[in-house]
Amino acid sequence: MTFDWNIVWSSLPRLLDGAWMTIWLSVVTMLLAIPGGLALALLRLSGIKPLAMAATAFVEFFRATPLILQIYWVYYVLPAYFDIQLSQIATAIVGLACNISAFNSETFRSGIVSIRQGQWNAGLALGMSRVSVFCRIVAPQALMRVLPALASTWVSLFKDTSLVSIIAVSELSYVALQIRAETYRILEVLTAMAALYWLMGYPQAKLVDWIHHRFKVAE
Amino acid sequence: MTAAPILVFENVVKRYGALTALAGVSLTLHRGEVVCLIGPSGSGKSTLLRCANALDPLDQGRISFDGHEVRSSEASVRLVRQRMGMVFQNFELFPHLTVLRNVTIGPTTVLKLGQAEADARARKLLAKVGLADKETSHPSALSGGQQQRVAIARALAMEPALMLFDEPTSALDPETIGEVLSVMKTLADEGMTMLVVTHEMDFARRVANRVAVFDKGRVIEEGTPQEIFTAPKVPRTRDFLSHLGWHGESK
Repeated sequence: MTFDWNIVWSSLPRLLDGAWMTIWLSVVTMLLAIPGGLALALLRLSGIKPLAMAATAFVEFFRATPLILQIYWVYYVLPAYFDIQLSQIATAIVGLACNISAFNSETFRSGIVSIRQGQWNAGLALGMSRVSVFCRIVAPQALMRVLPALASTWVSLFKDTSLVSIIAVSELSYVALQIRAETYRILEVLTAMAALYWLMGYPQAKLVDWIHHRFKVAE
Repeated sequence: MTAAPILVFENVVKRYGALTALAGVSLTLHRGEVVCLIGPSGSGKSTLLRCANALDPLDQGRISFDGHEVRSSEASVRLVRQRMGMVFQNFELFPHLTVLRNVTIGPTTVLKLGQAEADARARKLLAKVGLADKETSHPSALSGGQQQRVAIARALAMEPALMLFDEPTSALDPETIGEVLSVMKTLADEGMTMLVVTHEMDFARRVANRVAVFDKGRVIEEGTPQEIFTAPKVPRTRDFLSHLGWHGESK
């Protein structure tokens, strides 16, 4: 078997464009899914029954169904039933952001409830408002505790963006598979694709480990 | 006591489900007074403290602080809490903040003091509790006794009219209990009004103006330390004290 790495080098600009789209999708998704997840977590903890139930239903739907189905669903069902037309990229972001928000909400919720009542009491006893206790005492500690979980969600998200290739969003996987289809150089293209994902993913995972270590809160 | 009442409990009832934690407690604390609450675990002493600043809502009865009823609306409760310092059994320092920031968080967020002014106030209080050199440490780097002294400084930073102590030495190693009690004794000597739940009978005897004995959610006996420790009238008080190895001797 012979390898023709020239295919990879000549396609590199397109692959890098795809990689750039992968990064962009991940960042935008996470920027939406952090406040989204926090909002869902707070709704579930709010004690207001209808809101808590709605948030729970949302979370359990998106956690318990495959991401690929959710993307298809946004792509085909929203236009058909609700007459909402989104571009492919917008579709990808809506699907990913809903999915990751659901996972983040569980992460945030577990972090928030892991902070013991005594910390709330100590803040309240000073005369602080509940919002102030949450923002200054509970949330910072909860965030430190959930950083590893948030980080692994990030790393999964980064790889899962490949799923939006099914609706022809030109991120790395889509571009790579296109090049494969044009050139039939399966091994070279898939190897290049793997290398690019790894080169981008590995430093992120390491960075996240470092952040976790650096900001660890000792009890 | 001729001073004005500052904290008045009238027939306070608190239930947790089927458990009645407080079965009608009435108690009055006057300005400048130190009252110690003693009694077996689970007799309702700590619950009374948490009701005083409305961390736990009442089921029946009434609590008034400085002439105003402690109500459950958040705004009025916050005003009461600002003036009532609380020290917890497990310190409850904020582990993500330095010692200095633990002490300044109340003044800056609640009293809206500027950071410089809050820092100055905090440093003075840390010096007072003997921890001036620890301001940049995090709580995890301190011993239990040091953490509890920081917690006292944190409460004092609000310049409260009254301090609530909820078993402040129960979670401490024996060798660090003394340093916390001595800070509390200093506060009492300076005229701070204090309501103290404690198992430290020697502290209660030496520092309290009055002692209230709790049993099963009621105050079964109340009096001066002299009366309670040398001549308890209620058999249950005698039992409790003798279980602690206290036989009424007075030095």
